[in-house]
Amino acid sequence: MAENTTENHKRSSKISLRPIQLSHIDDFMVWATDDRVSQYCIWDTYTSKVQALDFIKNNAMPHPWFRVICVENRAVGSISVSPNSGNDSCRGELGYVLAYEHWGKGVATKVVKMVVSSIFREWPHLERLEAYVDANNKGSQRVLEKAGFIREAVLRKHRIIKGISRDMVVFSILSSDQHLDS
Amino acid sequence: MDSSRISLRPFELSDADDFLTWARDDKVTRYLRWETITSKEEALMHIQQVAIPHPWRRSICLDDRSVGYISVRPESGNDRHRAHIGYAIGSDHWGLGIVTVAMKMAIPSVFEKFPFIVRLEALVEEENVGSQRVLEKVGFVKEGFLRKYGFNKGEIRDMLIYSFLRTDKIA
Repeated sequence: MAENTTENHKRSSKISLRPIQLSHIDDFMVWATDDRVSQYCIWDTYTSKVQALDFIKNNAMPHPWFRVICVENRAVGSISVSPNSGNDSCRGELGYVLAYEHWGKGVATKVVKMVVSSIFREWPHLERLEAYVDANNKGSQRVLEKAGFIREAVLRKHRIIKGISRDMVVFSILSSDQHLDS
Repeated sequence: MDSSRISLRPFELSDADDFLTWARDDKVTRYLRWETITSKEEALMHIQQVAIPHPWRRSICLDDRSVGYISVRPESGNDRHRAHIGYAIGSDHWGLGIVTVAMKMAIPSVFEKFPFIVRLEALVEEENVGSQRVLEKVGFVKEGFLRKYGFNKGEIRDMLIYSFLRTDKIA
């Protein structure tokens, strides 16, 4: 898009996080049906609105912490924090997905920072926010590094994605790490 | 240590006294998720309700007497290619290489029993140097340090993470 100059990057582009609604379905389909977006995700590219509505209604809406990422009032992706139970409840897992059109503009970094600055306050028992990224997904690794996460390890064949076991890089940020100016 | 004295087998109720000998020791259970066993009744209950029904738990035996255990638990669902391995041995038998020998016996057996397991992983606390040495001697790869990873015995703990893949070679 021609108007995405550096000046526009720096200007606040009204990025916000909002609860997901069924009315987000058309925006959701834009990223959910894109193979480039789903490539490193656990889920397979969506192929129908019915499937997508089912996910929004039965997974996203009841989720403990799920938001759509909005740029200028359009949903362009989503971000979530999944808690653990019992002995592992000090740990939560961050996940996010962004429509291809909005890659490379700092949107993901911005929203990850927004989540980091609020999740530890919302969940006082949370000590560690972690994220697992496919070792080949360099873009997402850069997002987390820019957002202040520490790269801790490469876990060999840790997750199965699209039927193949993958090496996953684990990143974390602790409630004691975060800076007040995020 | 003559390694022919070391064997692995499932637990039996008749192991209760030997089990109690090492499971009642705080030094042994310190880094484990389960609490010290304090009586023969508890020992019997633990063997019957935890050790015997477990997906894969074996007694480490020295001259056929239980001196410790190795435990492997596959994750569920989409992660069942991954399994957590844990172990402990009575403090009288520390530093003799027994767990190392037992682990080298256990790993091929686990991969054979669970054809879908691709990755074994072990979480160890930083100060538990003895356990780290076992993993290194067996051939586990130290992958990293996970900060404030889990809660155990009243504290949130940092953990070192090690793994052994089906494609790795026993050291």
